[in-house]
This record gives sequence, structure tokens and C-alpha cells, in this order.
Amino acid sequence: MEEKLSKEEVLHVAHLARIKVSDEEIEKYRIQLKELLNEVDKINEVVGYDEEMMITPIKDEALLHSDEVEDQISFEEVRSNIPHTSGSFIEVPKVVQHE
Amino acid sequence: MSKYLDHSILEIHELLKSKQITPLTLVKEAFERIEEEASLNAFITLNKEAAIKEAKALENMEVDNVLFGIPIAVKDNITTKGLRTTCASKMLEQFVPVYDATVVEKLHDCHMIIIGKTNMDEFAMGSTSETSYFKAPHNPWDTERIAGGSSGGSAAAVAARLVPFALGSDTGGSIRQPSSYTGIVGMKPTYGRISRYGLIAFASSLDQIGPMSRNVYENALLLNILVGQDRHDLTSVAKDPEDFTRLLDNDVRGMKVAIPNYFVSDIVSDEIKEKIDEVVKFLKSQGVIVDYVDLPYLDKAVTLYQIIAMGEASSNLARFDGIRYGYAVEDPKDLEDLYCRSRQEGFGDEVKRRIMVGSYLLSGENAKVYYTKAQQIRDDICKSFEQCFKDYDLVIGPTTTTVAYHLNEGMDDPLKSFLDDVLVIPVNMAGLPGMNLPVGFSKEHMPIGLHIIGNYFEEAKMYQLARFLEKNLALDLNPKEGGK
Amino acid sequence: MSTYQKTIGIEVHCELKTNTKMFSSAKNGYGDSANCNLTLLDLGYPGTLPLINDYAVTLALRAALALHCEIHREMYFDRKNYFYPDLPKGYQITQAKTPIGINGYVEIEVDGKPKTIRIHDIHIEEDTAKSVHQGNHSYLDFNRAGVPLIEIVTEPDMNSSEEAMLYLEKLRSLLLYADVSDCKIEEGSMRCDVNVSISKDDTLGVRTETKNIGSIRNVGLAIESEALRQEKLLEEGIAIQEETRRYDDASKETVLMRVKEIGNDYRYFPEPDIPKLCLSEERIRKVQEQMPMLPDDRKARYQALGLSDLSSSKLIQNKPLSDYFNLFLEDDIDFVMLSNLLLGDISFYLNRTMKTLMDTTLTKERMLSLLQHLYDQTITTKNVKDLLEEFLETDKDIDTICKEKGIQNISDTTLLSTIIKNIIEQNPESVKDYQQGRDRAIKYLMGQVMKETKGSANPSLARDLLEEELKKQ
Repeated sequence: MEEKLSKEEVLHVAHLARIKVSDEEIEKYRIQLKELLNEVDKINEVVGYDEEMMITPIKDEALLHSDEVEDQISFEEVRSNIPHTSGSFIEVPKVVQHE
Repeated sequence: MSKYLDHSILEIHELLKSKQITPLTLVKEAFERIEEEASLNAFITLNKEAAIKEAKALENMEVDNVLFGIPIAVKDNITTKGLRTTCASKMLEQFVPVYDATVVEKLHDCHMIIIGKTNMDEFAMGSTSETSYFKAPHNPWDTERIAGGSSGGSAAAVAARLVPFALGSDTGGSIRQPSSYTGIVGMKPTYGRISRYGLIAFASSLDQIGPMSRNVYENALLLNILVGQDRHDLTSVAKDPEDFTRLLDNDVRGMKVAIPNYFVSDIVSDEIKEKIDEVVKFLKSQGVIVDYVDLPYLDKAVTLYQIIAMGEASSNLARFDGIRYGYAVEDPKDLEDLYCRSRQEGFGDEVKRRIMVGSYLLSGENAKVYYTKAQQIRDDICKSFEQCFKDYDLVIGPTTTTVAYHLNEGMDDPLKSFLDDVLVIPVNMAGLPGMNLPVGFSKEHMPIGLHIIGNYFEEAKMYQLARFLEKNLALDLNPKEGGK
Repeated sequence: MSTYQKTIGIEVHCELKTNTKMFSSAKNGYGDSANCNLTLLDLGYPGTLPLINDYAVTLALRAALALHCEIHREMYFDRKNYFYPDLPKGYQITQAKTPIGINGYVEIEVDGKPKTIRIHDIHIEEDTAKSVHQGNHSYLDFNRAGVPLIEIVTEPDMNSSEEAMLYLEKLRSLLLYADVSDCKIEEGSMRCDVNVSISKDDTLGVRTETKNIGSIRNVGLAIESEALRQEKLLEEGIAIQEETRRYDDASKETVLMRVKEIGNDYRYFPEPDIPKLCLSEERIRKVQEQMPMLPDDRKARYQALGLSDLSSSKLIQNKPLSDYFNLFLEDDIDFVMLSNLLLGDISFYLNRTMKTLMDTTLTKERMLSLLQHLYDQTITTKNVKDLLEEFLETDKDIDTICKEKGIQNISDTTLLSTIIKNIIEQNPESVKDYQQGRDRAIKYLMGQVMKETKGSANPSLARDLLEEELKKQ
């Protein structure tokens, strides 16, 4: 088994997770993430399992909500938690391209 | 200093009813105790002003239920309106929720008083509470040791008798394992028993809130008021109301109990195995039928847990992006910079590792190889438990493989935190209820816990066996008195 | 003529006409002031969990049935994970594995020949927030975040821009008639993404996706320009890149938005916060039974009632008129007359005044009375022009309006006879001319009758009466 991830692999997962990593951290993660990945690879040892998949332990059907307006909050209630607002809008650095 | 908080809830209830004490007496005592034991670092935020105000407001009200006026601590990943809720993370250091979790509403409904928000692993990711941005809580039995995690602060607070009750949350053992390390009773009910609305999600298909208390009876009392279907949580289940204390005094003779061989294999330390053996011998002597059984995949549960929990966490924690709430870096140079640096600086190491690995496990074809496969095997674990419960009333084993170890022992080992929970994780996989009952002490006088697993929605039966053992073992579980 | 064959697939997003959002109980409202239709879930608040809007499921089911889809009886939702400021939870809840409908189709008519466009699937998802950009910042309004959407994905079954436009027209009319969406492309409640590839043989070329085109006409233009662009590249020996483009209205060309990342990686997995959603046979049957009459059925019905192909199509193009028309389906009336009125004077009035039928006083009863008057010939179609405005804007009945406006009951023989007698009396010269066989005399007298009745006399009746009266002289 490989001992370390490549630098590129670390940067790739960091990008997926939108977490910036410093050069120092890259070195650390190359080892730590690989350790975790080797661990989860143990799933490959399992064979002969049933195809049926569990999505939630809840077996009942979902309760449906009638189409009625309730529980609305005003923007003022949540404003203080928002890092940047402008009027009744939430402000972010300019959005350039759509994912 | 008054000692009312050392009384049983029923005794306190009588004192309140006869007006010998008021809720304020209890609240003040709780804060005095917290101050005295500040070095335990059990709390992240205290609710002092509001709690005292609430206690005063209760003075002229009728003491209408057994939990009326009783102080309680709430794990800091459960939202409390107007009271800071941090998830022990820098990311939410300043976050003040604008709504109460459903369980918190239920506490208010019976006039329990929230004393504060307890310390935990950051976003409940860890098994020692050492990943807390606010430093780890300590174990009241030996302050050099961990209180366990992730509900370490809740466990320490109840074990040290700072409060009689705490709420915890359990994704992969986070109620039961710290309960075992600190010698208290902790219940993770059946998935769906208690609304998750207001529980800041770690792994949605595993998370469950549960009561932590000094003894079995009081645990059942608190569970009584926490359960019920909630229209805000589609995964909460409608069940007829029941009194979880109803079987407490019933005989256990003839009860059938299974012990999976894996739970008493070499992964468990000798002194814990010996303690469990003693318990088994005692149960048999009391007419309980105890069989050793094989359950498949138990040894793979941690791997499945890692995949499912990290995968779901990577998605659940994507919302912390510095836009609508939470930590945001100053003057980001663009949107990507806002995301990447806010998350780099706002999250601690353990959380970042799990988010990154979780993202990887769900990316491209990996989702099939890891996540889907894990959920498929998980379904098999479920079925094997279901099979087992056709023949047995309960499944038991030790809660942990060792007693609480020393602080800093497992730091920076990304695997250690998962392995502490190897015995409790299968229960989350199946969505079953599981609880810890203190059953003795190690040579160093650290608590040892018994893990009791019930069939779906059979918490009452678990309490029955637990209460029977508790009564007969009659352990002194107050670290101050029973301690060193 | 190009030697390349175009292959076109279309994805359409439609907002559903519900009161509340898909997974929250906040109001689904267009055009309200920013960030006022919110619950905490719509801001992705920590600890909040999704609900399911029952009515949105009904509408999605109705759409799936209207598109002849097979229905998934047991559904789960999935999370589509990506970071974007308009996505408050960091994932969109959608249906990737168990879409509500699969394997449907839409029939279109190309140059008089029927063609089937296969529907790959139709699934339920939630809309994103709206952002406006200004300077170095974007400003987010989460009112739209969580609004219920259906996404309808075709197989690559279209081969020309004309077919694509016909498909979209047909789809739009189906969804409008099924009453699931108001399908306003300009307001964004219907949005079209088009996948285009070209090839000289049967193998499919590399496709590009042009997103969010603002009108059906522009879909046609975008396909033409994109196919041309691809053709030029291929002719120059340059390979087509899989990429996402947008249509620029000013230059009438598609413009690159981004090259598809390797691993444009949405990390789909089943949404654990929502248990299975089951559609019972009974529920499906009920939705099917309550399905409003769809365009093709209407057309067949109209033609059976005697309407021309053109009139039928025109009525169906205007849903409010068609719905109004349908109120009379069980009545014993002259349907051609009704259709002519609706498509003629009434449409003219509505267009001129920018009103809808709802803004007028034209109840079913009033329309029946109008039809009865026309049928009895107590008024003429000419009269209708004169009395319509008053009739549509007030509650007055036809006779009252006629009286007030001096519109005569021209088919009233007694009245007409009186008028004619008077005219004959006043024009003895003309009577003489008539008796001497001068043809122009009767024309002149008819003119006088028309003048006197302000043109409302039924000409043939008036002429009969006039001749009768003259013979008596």
C-alpha cells in the first residue's frame, strides 16, 4: 500500500471540499488522508453482501406537508448572523461563473 | 454550599413542591458547582443570566411535573434561541441561533432550566472531545484523563454532579462512550425516536439526540419528554406515547440476552472483559439466559461508519461557507478565497480531514465503490440484528474496549478516534437503541460500562435490565465520594 | 445545404405553481421584495431539515402523466453537491436515481407529419437563489431558493431548430394545460438548456450545452448558430470541446461559459433526511382523473364540434379562451358561433384593452344570452361590434344596451314595418319610380331604412318587408 498521497491528490480533495491548504498542511495531509483512505479500503474485503441499500433507518413513508405558508422568518431576525449584508440582500464577492 | 443537586430527582421534586426550595436554589447551586469545577471545562457557554431569570419566573408557578425547575445542560450542537451555539468550532464561535431545537422546546415545555452549552468534539467529530476549539473537557474521575467524546462536556457535567441531566448526541457512540468513561447512564434511543430538528448535522442517517443522567430511572424520565414525531423532521417517527419507566421494577428472570463474540474478543482489554464476565455470571444466577452469538460484519462496522459518516459530513458541512452565518475571512480576494480560507481557518484539523476524505469518497465513481457499498452492507448489519432480536430480548457487551485514557494520548492519530467507538458504532449503523450502564471500576478506579442494545423502539426493556443491574450492583458513582 | 446532421436534446426547468416551496413552508412568490419569503431552511440554517410539499408532488405527477411517463411508485431524493452562493445548503435536493417519471414522450407535428420526441425523465428538484451583480460584488436574494422545479430531459431526438422549437411550444402548452406551471420564459419560470452536436454519419458528435436561453425563438437561433460554429470548426479540422455555452442575444451567437471540468463532480448520494416517498395506485389514478383536458384532446373535441383546424388551433394557443370555451362543451349551442365570437370581436377587445376574460363581465350566462340573440337574429354580428364594449364592461343585458345605444331590434318585424311605412310615406317619388320599374328606387329606399336603423336592420328581412310594403302601394 502507498504510504502517502501525491501533492496533487491532496490539492484535488482540498478543492472538492473548498478548503485551502498551506504547503505545510499538504505534507501532513499526504500521510493522514492516506491513512484514512487505507482504512476505508477495508470495505473491499467484504464480499457476498446483499445489494439492497439503506438510505435512512426510517422504514415509514415520508410525512407530506400541506401546501401552506408557515414558519417564515424576517430578514431582520437573521441579519446579525450574516457576515455582509447590503439592504435586504446578502453580499458576496462577485460571482464569476456558474458551476 | 447547598447539596440539593446530590438528591434524586424525586426528592428534589418533593422539595420544590413543598416550597422548601425553589428552582433558583437549584440554578444557583448548579452555577456554584460549575464555578468550583471550572477546570473540568465541561461548558463552552453558560446561560447564567437567562437561567436565573427563568428560575425566578418559575417561583410562582405550580410544580406540575417531575422535571419542573430541574437544571439541565445541553450539548453545544443543539440550537438554543438567543444562546450561542458553537459546535465547539471557531466556525460558529459567534453564532447565535434564532430558533430552538425541538428537544429544547420540549425542555422549556416542562420548565426545565438550561444551565449552559456543553463542550464537545468540534462538530461532534472525535471520541475524546479534544478536537474542541475551546480545549478538551476533563474526566471528573481523573482530571488527567479524557471524558470521552464527542459528548464529553455533557458526560463530565453529569458525572461531576454539576447538573443532574444533560442532552448529548450520538452519531457513532458519542453519548454511550463518554458515559462509559465517566460512569453515567447514557441512552441513544432508536433512530427516529427524537426529532433532530435543531441538531446541527454531522451524519444525518446516524445522528440521534439522547438523555444523559446519573441513574437509570432519571434517564427514562427525561426520555419520556424528548420523544415524538416532529413535523420539522421527516425522519422522526410517530409512536404511541409510553412511559419508559414502566418496566423498571419488573423481574428479569427468563429474559434472553445475546453477547456477540466480537464484543468480547481480543480488542477488549482484560479487565473490562473480566467485569463483563462478572455481570454475565450474575445475570445467569438471576435466571437470565445469556448466549454467545456471531453477528456478521461487526468488525467492519467502523469502516462502514467512516465512509458513511465522512461522506454525509462532507455534504452537511458544505453550508459553512462564510456567506449566511458563521466565520468569514476579512477581505477575501474573490469568492473562492472566501470559501477556501474561511473553511481553512474556521474548521479544525479533524473536521477538515473528514470533510476532505468524505468529499473524495463521494466523488465520481467512488460513490459507488464506497458510499453505496457501505450502505448496502449496512442494510445487512440491520438484518442480522433483526434476526438476532427474533431470538433475544437484548444484546449486551462492553461499551468501550478500554477505560478513559490520558489526554493527548491519541492526538494527531486520525484513526484512534474511530477505534475507541468500535463497540458502539454497529448500533448507529442499524439505527437501534443502545445505552451505557456503569457496572464497575478498573484497578485505577476508572468507570467501566455495560453496553445494552435493544430492538427497535424497545428502550423500556433496556431500562428494565439496566435498572435491575444498577440496583444489585449499588455502585457509588459520585466521583467526589466514590472517587480516589 | 450542410452535409452535417444536427442532433439535439433539450432540458427544460419549470417552476411549479404551488403556494409554498418544495422542501420548506416558505411562500413561493415571484416578484416579492428581496429575502422576505424565507424559512430558516431556505437559508440553509444549521440544524434545519427538509419537508416535502404534497401539492408539488401532485403537480410533478400530473406533468409526468401528461408526458406519458412511467411513474416511480417509490422514490428517494438525492443530494447534488457543489459550492455556489445561490445554493444555501451546499447541495441541491434533486432526484437522480428515482425520478418521478421516466420513458415518456411528446408528439409534435413537423411539416404535417407526426414525430415523437422521447422524454428520458422528469424529476423534482429545488430552485436556487437569485443573484444580481454590481461592481465587485453579487447580491443574493433567497426568495427563489427552494421553489419547486421539475426538470424534463429529452432523448436526443430532434434534428433541426424547427423541431426543437415545435417541441418546446408543445411542451409549454402541455404544461400550461396540465396547469402545473405558468411557463413564463421571460420571468424564468421556464428555462431551456439545449444540447447540440453535429455529425456526418450515424455516430454522435461531441455535444455542447447552451444554457438558459431566454425565448423559444432564441432556442432556434442558438441551435442554428451553434451548429454553424461546430461545422466551421470541424471543417477546419478542429475538434469540438465538451463545454457549456450561453446564447448572446446581441451578437446572435453562442458564447463560451466554461469548459467542462474533468470531474465536474456533483458527488451525488441519496438524501438521508428524507425517507421514501410512495405514490399509491389510488393517488396516481386520482391525479390522472383530475387531469385538465390537454391540447391534443381539446383539438380533437373542437373539430368534432365543427370548428375548423385553424380555429381549433387558435383557441388552443390561447389557454384562457380555450378554458372559457370548454365551459360550454355540454351546452346545446352553435359552437362555431362561439368560437368566432371569442377569436373575433372578443379577442380584439381584449387585446385593445389589455384585459383578460376575467376582467370582463362575460359570465357564462351572459355569453349564452348573446349567443341566443344572435341565433334568433334579434341582433346581428354587426350589432355585436356596437354593443360589445358595454356588454363586457357592465352587467346590463343586451336589450337594455340596445335600447340605450339606440341599437334596434332589427328582427322585430313590427318595428321594421313601422319604419318602412314611414319611409314610404316620406318618399312618394321613389314609390312611383319603383312602380315604374326603376331598380335604383328600392336601393335608395333600403338606404333610408339602414340610415334610420343606424345600420342595424337585418338586410334580407328589411328588403322582404320593403318589397312587401311597396307591393301594397
